[in-house]
Amino acid sequence: MTPVGLPHYLVLSALLFSLGLLGVVLRRNLLIVFISLELMLNAANIALVASARFLNRIGGQEMVFVVIAVAAAEVAVGLALLAALYRQRPTVQSNDLDALKF
Amino acid sequence: MNAILTMPEMAVTALALGLLVLDLWTPADRKGDLGIAAIGGLALILAGSFLFGAGAPQYAFGGMYVLDGMALFFKRLMLGVGVVALAAALEYSKRFAAGTAEYCALILLAVSGMMWAASANHWALLFVSVELMTVTFYVLVSFERTRMPSLEAGVKYLILGALASAFLVYGVALVFGGTGTLGFAGDSGPGLGTGSVLVRVGLALVLAGLGFKIGMVPCQFWAPDVYQGAPAPTAALLAAGSKAAGFALLLRVLLEAAPDWALEMRPVLMLIAGASILYGNLCAIPQRNLKRLLGYSSIAHAGYMLLGIVVLERAGAAAILFYLAGYACAVLAAFLVAALAFDPGEPEEIPALAGLHRRSPYLAAALALSMISLAGIPPLVGFFGKFLLLKGVVLAAFDSRSFGWLAGVALAGIVTSFYYYFGVVRAIYWSAPAAERPPIAVSRVAGAALGACLVGIVAAGVFPSPLLEAARLAAGALRIP
Repeated sequence: MTPVGLPHYLVLSALLFSLGLLGVVLRRNLLIVFISLELMLNAANIALVASARFLNRIGGQEMVFVVIAVAAAEVAVGLALLAALYRQRPTVQSNDLDALKF
Repeated sequence: MNAILTMPEMAVTALALGLLVLDLWTPADRKGDLGIAAIGGLALILAGSFLFGAGAPQYAFGGMYVLDGMALFFKRLMLGVGVVALAAALEYSKRFAAGTAEYCALILLAVSGMMWAASANHWALLFVSVELMTVTFYVLVSFERTRMPSLEAGVKYLILGALASAFLVYGVALVFGGTGTLGFAGDSGPGLGTGSVLVRVGLALVLAGLGFKIGMVPCQFWAPDVYQGAPAPTAALLAAGSKAAGFALLLRVLLEAAPDWALEMRPVLMLIAGASILYGNLCAIPQRNLKRLLGYSSIAHAGYMLLGIVVLERAGAAAILFYLAGYACAVLAAFLVAALAFDPGEPEEIPALAGLHRRSPYLAAALALSMISLAGIPPLVGFFGKFLLLKGVVLAAFDSRSFGWLAGVALAGIVTSFYYYFGVVRAIYWSAPAAERPPIAVSRVAGAALGACLVGIVAAGVFPSPLLEAARLAAGALRIP
């Protein structure tokens, strides 16, 4: 049996990233879309941690903390924004966002 | 540790936080004074930034942060943009129920994010500065949270902005996996080794993430909707500041960190530039909303500025810097007029501009000048910027024929744009208004900010050499390996 190496982790992160991207593109529920976006960020985190571990460079692990902190800020603002939207118009479907057209 | 270099950014951040604290003790009828204080503080920081000389590059935080001529040029540009955006915000915030100080503080935080971006020399600083901008813009775009278009624009910017961030950070992760470093320079001197597949894919994802900031095809879908729905001062800051920050980062990544990869990707970049010019200009033609029209035109202008990147030389970078400064003046003036000339809640329809020259000759002249500069008519600054960018491409066409079609596409785009820019001018001066509307009173602050933009448009067009010299000096600081 081959030992688990960096390529395995990178493939895992690529799969997770693709799943997230599919969710963003295909789903119409804004909350699900938002969750998929977090999935994509975490795919990046896996790639960063695995690279840091196998290349023996600590930088990648530091970067993960930065990404987690920024993602938390993004979620805080994003959910507040979705809540404000829901107050104006009780919907979380992206199809209902159709006021801006020419 | 050279933390003193980060003084301008720190000062802007401190100003924003101070504003929020002072807001607690300010009675409701005095909130406008806070905005004036913010404008004064930012202008002081702009003046203070001239204490830094553009000498040899200086580093802080272990090489993460670099202060060189290009960073200084961008910082001054962003501080100037911030002052005008704050003046617009002060005027526009009269229609908010509350939150003038918060709005100004958020603008200051976005400006500080742009300034950090101008000095980024490390993927972590690049990511954090981009996010500082993007997350504040989520709030700035949706600030009128009782007005549906503003909220809708905010949600669209949130989803697409977060998607771009995900691309960016995944790209950074792959580049780190391929090179083992998060700095823009490899272990062996400047420039990253871009041999491995991992690094190439990573850089492509980073390009997509930064392409969102500048609004280039195929990452441009947000621009028209967000420009239309966002409050006018936010849209002004997005167009002038966020785009400039995106280009600062693109120049650093493509010319300093990964020049080999950029050379390899040149055909793709040329395709993107041509597609952005065509898409932006063709889609702008049927627009009736002034802000939406500016959104499409901003895509076209991103395409023009990419012409300066595809030549991959310092001269092209200098042309971008010059163009960005001129574009900032013109687009800030246009959004300032959009903030002043329409009633609260009224959509910014171009036909509603009819009779503007009688309601306020100053605003009418300002909008007309801005449109003429954006179209690129001499002797205004937009003409000279387009000339510089095109000159680089035409010179490159002598070496390699493939640049010929790009120059042709750019020229065709510029000619097309005359149609819709002059449509706005025609609406102002030559259409009959449906109903007589009262004259518009322009406050002293807004008038002065508008005046500064107009002076920039005209002076930098008639006497381009000082600005051009500054742009050349700044581009000379790029460490192209």
